Amino acid sequence: MTISRRNFIVGCSAAIAAMTGGAVRGLAFTQPGDTTRRDILVVVFLRGGCDGLNLVAPVNDPFYRGARGELRVEESGQNAGLSFGNQIQGADFRLHPRATLLLSLYINRSLAIVHACGLKNGTRSHFEAMDYMEGGIPESGVPANGWLARYLNGINASGYLPAVAAGTRVPFSMTGFNGAAALTDPSAFNLSWNSWRYRDQLNQALDSFYTGDSPVQQAGRTTLTTIARINERLPRDAQGRVIPYKPENGVSYPSGRGASLGNALRTVASLIKMDVGLLAATVDYGGWDTHEGQSWIFPELVAGLSEALYAFYNDLWRYHDRLTVVVMSEFGRRLKANRSGGTDHGHGNVMLVLGEGIRGGKMYGVWPGLATEQLDNGVDLAITTDYRAVLAEILVKRGGYQAIDQVFPGFRGSPLGLAYSPGETIERPNRVNLPLVTR
Amino acid sequence: MTVSRRRFPGAGVTLASTGMTGAATQRASSVTRQTHTQISPSALPPIELIALNRMAYGPRPGDVARVQQIGFTAYVDEQLNPNDADDTLCNQKIAEARLRIRYSAGMGYPAVDEMRPLRTIVENWGLAQLWTLSKHPAYQERIRPAEEVRMATLLRAVYSKWQLREVLVEFWHNHFNVDAYSESRISATWPLYDRDVIRRHCLGNFRNMLRDVAKSIAMAFYLDNAFSRDGPANENYARELFELHTLGQENYLNHLYNRWRDVPGALAGNPIGYIDQDVYEAARAFTGWTIAHGQTVSGSNRLPDTGEFTYVDFWHDNAQKRVLAFEIDPNQPHLSDGETVIRLVSEHPGTARHLCRKLCRRLLADDPPASLVNDLASVWLANKDAPDQIARTVRALLLSDEFANTFGRKVKRPYEVVVSFLRATNADVTPNSDLFWQLQEMGYRMFNWGPPTGHPEESAAWLSTNGMLRRWNIINYLQSAWLKAATFDLPGQTPTGLTSRQIVEFWITRLLAVSPSPATINRLVDLMRQNGSAGAPPTGSAEEIADRIKSVVTLIAMTPEFQLR
Repeated sequence: MTISRRNFIVGCSAAIAAMTGGAVRGLAFTQPGDTTRRDILVVVFLRGGCDGLNLVAPVNDPFYRGARGELRVEESGQNAGLSFGNQIQGADFRLHPRATLLLSLYINRSLAIVHACGLKNGTRSHFEAMDYMEGGIPESGVPANGWLARYLNGINASGYLPAVAAGTRVPFSMTGFNGAAALTDPSAFNLSWNSWRYRDQLNQALDSFYTGDSPVQQAGRTTLTTIARINERLPRDAQGRVIPYKPENGVSYPSGRGASLGNALRTVASLIKMDVGLLAATVDYGGWDTHEGQSWIFPELVAGLSEALYAFYNDLWRYHDRLTVVVMSEFGRRLKANRSGGTDHGHGNVMLVLGEGIRGGKMYGVWPGLATEQLDNGVDLAITTDYRAVLAEILVKRGGYQAIDQVFPGFRGSPLGLAYSPGETIERPNRVNLPLVTR
Repeated sequence: MTVSRRRFPGAGVTLASTGMTGAATQRASSVTRQTHTQISPSALPPIELIALNRMAYGPRPGDVARVQQIGFTAYVDEQLNPNDADDTLCNQKIAEARLRIRYSAGMGYPAVDEMRPLRTIVENWGLAQLWTLSKHPAYQERIRPAEEVRMATLLRAVYSKWQLREVLVEFWHNHFNVDAYSESRISATWPLYDRDVIRRHCLGNFRNMLRDVAKSIAMAFYLDNAFSRDGPANENYARELFELHTLGQENYLNHLYNRWRDVPGALAGNPIGYIDQDVYEAARAFTGWTIAHGQTVSGSNRLPDTGEFTYVDFWHDNAQKRVLAFEIDPNQPHLSDGETVIRLVSEHPGTARHLCRKLCRRLLADDPPASLVNDLASVWLANKDAPDQIARTVRALLLSDEFANTFGRKVKRPYEVVVSFLRATNADVTPNSDLFWQLQEMGYRMFNWGPPTGHPEESAAWLSTNGMLRRWNIINYLQSAWLKAATFDLPGQTPTGLTSRQIVEFWITRLLAVSPSPATINRLVDLMRQNGSAGAPPTGSAEEIADRIKSVVTLIAMTPEFQLR
């Protein structure tokens, strides 16, 4: 498939129209004839290697207790983990004490936990692991495009603004999908000319510069289209001023270490409510490479993750029946702490899945154990669930997409049963006023 | 292993929605498409413009004529031997620069709001002064040295005669990336990393550079080696030493081999790549390499709080090690284990190829020909002990056929967009924090890039919708009344008596290396002439004409042509 000229021509005229104040609202962009019901898929990537053994900790495992020293969640006392039900066998798992709002989502049966999963390739390199994982492959031969891009191409996502990276650039997972837009603040996504006198001519001239086939020209074309589409849909008051976004349910997105994630999720929420036809969004949350200082950094990161996801989910309560959020990271961390207050690059990890179409309040996976002979290379949590099993199940059941081999070439695996299929009766959890767990 | 780094973000690029390069290949043909529309040889700009756009941050008025006059080879040789004394304009700009510092009063310190000179740069502050600042109670004072280096870096990029050095300084800062703002000890001593490590060695010897990076306050805290001690070692620095600083990801063979002896060449002492075992062993070699910051060694034995690089034998793992198939015996002299690792990785042929490819990707194109990379790697290795190893390698690159015969294969990063615009328009630059905030929103975080990779090199990473919109807007912001990071006199620089078409051509020549299409030129001429004739001077009020000249210059900097180098 090459660039769809139609999209760009449509975008072009709309770009001019929007910039020159023309009234083509709702005219040029009919959704294509896709009647399949698909969830909006939000992928949160914890960059740096989240310590899954501390996020969902096997607190009573003697090997965990022995290897982690102070860097662990405990059964009781000041650093006691949060108990939750419906666990897999093998240990007493506890959520990190700062993950109270994740526990709320779990109790509400919105959140599922998968443990000991990840990339089966043994790499301990961040960048290689992210390449493989975002490329959607088990190892080597990194493809030219990411797994989300192949999914979006596979379903011919050609809506109004189908894919957004909430940030300054598009991550590899979404790279290769034509219409993917990167943006940080929809309300400021506009051209800022200094000259008012020649503004219309400037708009038209710029539009005419970006009509060719080179990557720069096509990037410019997509940008002009995105500017037009967002500005057409931004809520405005009677004077035409953009109405600032206000989250629902009295939600406040976190400040502090979780602010970057909160702001990005806020952007995604605002776009979803603008009904731009969003089908996939990516959000990055960095800072998890805790080789050092883990005892003070990690709790803040977990609190930020917990607060931001909780805020996002409550803010979007009207969209719960078509929203799935996946939280993943390139790898977990070493079972044994190092001597400098941190943990080094490891292997198996936790994934989180959130949504009304998810059989939440339940833990999935198979616990491999932490005795030396049970560890990967004798040092790290082994992987019993391929990360692609989780993603594939979501694409099939929540994305309405069956050709998994196109997204994850060569992948063979069975679903964990964590998602409801279309048509299945969902045991509907509360959409609002999720139970607030405090300690 | 074919880790293709040619990625095309979803900015609506032709590569989009192709299949896999390795597996499902039904659409693989378009993967081989060139990054940019190939410029035919006849459309190649003259060598002066190629050079000034790639080994400099774009031409300032007069630069092209000067390179023409002395000749390209002489220009390269001149640039390889920078002389600070011969940089009057730049030195003057740095001496005159004022950067606001403002903070409220706090516990034991008063409020400050002043326009302060770049003291740490102009007065050449040393470790003792800067280390003291790292303990200043006011955050703005602790980050002030890093702020001053940022301002000086931008001024040098715009004004320094020694442009190649500035381009390479940016390259090496990204190669040995440290987030200066991640730690007060790093931000306060940032002038030392910039001056005594990166600038000192940017054209020098790689092994020496690597050693000084390893011993720097900046890297020691950023990648945690300052805290690494026996049992178990902290692997952060050792891993990035291999993966980012030297052999590179392409020589990480962990998915192929589990044991060191299985790596091809290992049994003959020349393994072709590295695996995790090498990382683990190298991490042990660097245990005890730290920065004295008053930490307790044992009992009442504390290191002084000076910021000096220090070796603590008590923390060192002194048992035998094997790195890249080289056996290190137990109980070596102080520092010897780490020095040995630095020698091994810096002299590895994989490092030569990795570094030369990376230099090509900065100065030439995202996908440089393997033959050129190999030629440069030979120069690199042959000069491994030369004090000007890097200069010799860069010289070979700049004088290669490939450098002279390609253009427009790189998308300018946001910083290059800004600096090249400031240079072409002969702007009077007064850098401020707001400008760096704008760059950050464009995805360019100077000295503040979190992951140790440094900023992405591949052009496609800079073509997101956010990136495109902001590279258009920054041209307007720079000339706006509020940013105040520069002042321009575009009408004043436009020769009097020119026709509308000539005005457009004058500014195209200033800003672009390659002429845009006739359609683009006509658009610009139409804007300039309004109701008048293209062949006559523009009509209208002086204010209108000035507005049109500024608008034309702004638009030229927003063309696809201006985004490439």
